[in-house]
Amino acid sequence: MIAQQQDMKTAIPDLRDLPLDRLAELGGTPLAQSIALYRERLKENGVPLSSFNARI
Amino acid sequence: MNKRVADLKSHRLPETAFTTLAAGRGDPAVIRLLQGAQHSKHIMLLHAIAEAAGDGDPADRGVAAFQAGYELLTRIQAADPGAATWLLGLPHLGGWAHDGLIRLDQGSEPDFAYLACAAAAAAVRAGVPFELDAPVRDGHVLLPGLGRLAVGDQAAWVRLRYDGQQLAAGDGVVVSRLVLGPDYGSGQPVPHWRGTPAIRVLAGGLAWDVLLVTDDSYLDRYTLPMSAGLSGHELRRWRQLVQAAWEVLVRHHRWAAEPIATGVSVIVPLTPQSETDLISATSPAAFGAIATSWPPDPVTMAETLVHEFQHVKLCGLLDMVPLTEPGAEKVYAPWRQDPRPAGGLLQGIYAHLGIVRFWQSQRQAETDPDHILRAHVQFARWRAAVECAVDTLLQTGCLTPDGVRFTSLLRDQDIAHADEPVPAPAQAIAREVALDHQLTWQIRHAAADPVAVAKLAEAYRRGEPFPRQDYPEIWVQEDVRKLGSSVRSRLLNMSYLEPARYRELCADGVLPLSGADRLLLGRDAETTVRGYRDLITGSADPQPDAWVGLALALHRLPTSAPQHAFAAHLPVLFDLHSRLGAGHDPLDLAGWFG
Repeated sequence: MIAQQQDMKTAIPDLRDLPLDRLAELGGTPLAQSIALYRERLKENGVPLSSFNARI
Repeated sequence: MNKRVADLKSHRLPETAFTTLAAGRGDPAVIRLLQGAQHSKHIMLLHAIAEAAGDGDPADRGVAAFQAGYELLTRIQAADPGAATWLLGLPHLGGWAHDGLIRLDQGSEPDFAYLACAAAAAAVRAGVPFELDAPVRDGHVLLPGLGRLAVGDQAAWVRLRYDGQQLAAGDGVVVSRLVLGPDYGSGQPVPHWRGTPAIRVLAGGLAWDVLLVTDDSYLDRYTLPMSAGLSGHELRRWRQLVQAAWEVLVRHHRWAAEPIATGVSVIVPLTPQSETDLISATSPAAFGAIATSWPPDPVTMAETLVHEFQHVKLCGLLDMVPLTEPGAEKVYAPWRQDPRPAGGLLQGIYAHLGIVRFWQSQRQAETDPDHILRAHVQFARWRAAVECAVDTLLQTGCLTPDGVRFTSLLRDQDIAHADEPVPAPAQAIAREVALDHQLTWQIRHAAADPVAVAKLAEAYRRGEPFPRQDYPEIWVQEDVRKLGSSVRSRLLNMSYLEPARYRELCADGVLPLSGADRLLLGRDAETTVRGYRDLITGSADPQPDAWVGLALALHRLPTSAPQHAFAAHLPVLFDLHSRLGAGHDPLDLAGWFG
């Protein structure tokens, strides 16, 4: 069981229960900010791959 | 805007989940938390692509296909939320959405039309009728997560019509919903349909369903190409291997098996450059997918699953809670040949924490002497490597406060293994292969200030004591020196990974090794030291491989000053010797360091 107290706030908005056709209404809200933040991190880090050769 | 939209909240991560993940663990409930965040992330990226499509030309077929797919996905979300959740959790969709976002940031157009295919796949699962145009590639329409529909011609687009029971493509192809699913290898071939190869394994009451994806370009983004076009024989071998690996995991590593069954939905077989390489990889773009070349045995496959699933978990956590700051500094990672940034080192540490735990248990499970040796060496080698790498990571200063906390919790977990005994022969091999890796890396990537090295050379020639105040500055510079072949290192690894093959190769004597390298494999340390010493002293050219070999041979002898100098100062020693020229004794030089 996972305790529900002491939760950490995360960088991902919870969009699971939001109808897709309502997303456009979120224009200049935290969703746009989250996307901008994610894009910034993607530019900084790229899409890093872990790749491992177990023989060397 | 309705209340739900106005009250948009971020995902929350319970502190207990954070500490559980930091300890290298994570039960299915924790994995579902990560999956929930990935679901939202994919919606977020989908929204960014939808905005770009909204700005596109409505007459463009790709844009129109995207809009049709988006509208269909909205209907599926209302009619069967589970089918929408399935699609939005697919690694395929994550790979595509990341690619789309990157393309947008680079000023090019995403592959809009893929969403039509993805939504069609979800609609087929949900039984939601639709009609849309889908792109055709090589005569097929891809339905991600399900399979490929052969449409019979080479047109670029085809009209798909689905009434909830039958899927029609164009005017001639009709396939029943009942067969439009993955191929578990037990059914008869279906005209026009090739289900994505799938594996359903069961052991100890625990089942795992996983797709073997070889045909989706958005899951073909690893450093090696995916193994497209697997034959029936190859598919059977993969199914057998995964089943056997699953039995290993469930029987001896249930802590890993349960979350893997929840969190890994795709295996991507990779084609290695060399038959002897074992390459595995994970991408944060495709949460839930693990890529690997063919592992030689079920235990190695099980280890690979544990290893890569650690990356999957950490990628999911990093999307929620940043643990590293961007930084240019690159450092040594005991499992990589190249210098790694802090983020890469953290990934490696986390993966190897899982590997340590895997071999800790596997040591007890093995019965064959060679396999017991392998398990002990793996455990000892990676336990020490994690400890060393954690210290390096904490010193980079590239961790966020949460990253420092995460790494400290992780270190506590590694320390918990510190007192577990390892047989002396296994411990000796573990130390030697670790030293070989570290020194080889240093020769390759540790640059020494040439002006300071020149000063050292002058002091040595004048017979002065070692001038500690003039010790050269060292920095990481990729491939500052070139080494020859890696045959010796591969053999040292083979001595515990495949002992029988190692014995066979050592016996036949055909390997491209120097005389000193052969002596090293023979394990007579004093003779080996002489061999490398003569090779270095008598050669007009620098012999970086021989310097590493000499360091390894010295470490088989009792502790001495040269032994310490070789371990602590090898790049400086090598550059100094190169500066002095041929004829100088490397051991005298090392002794001068004190």
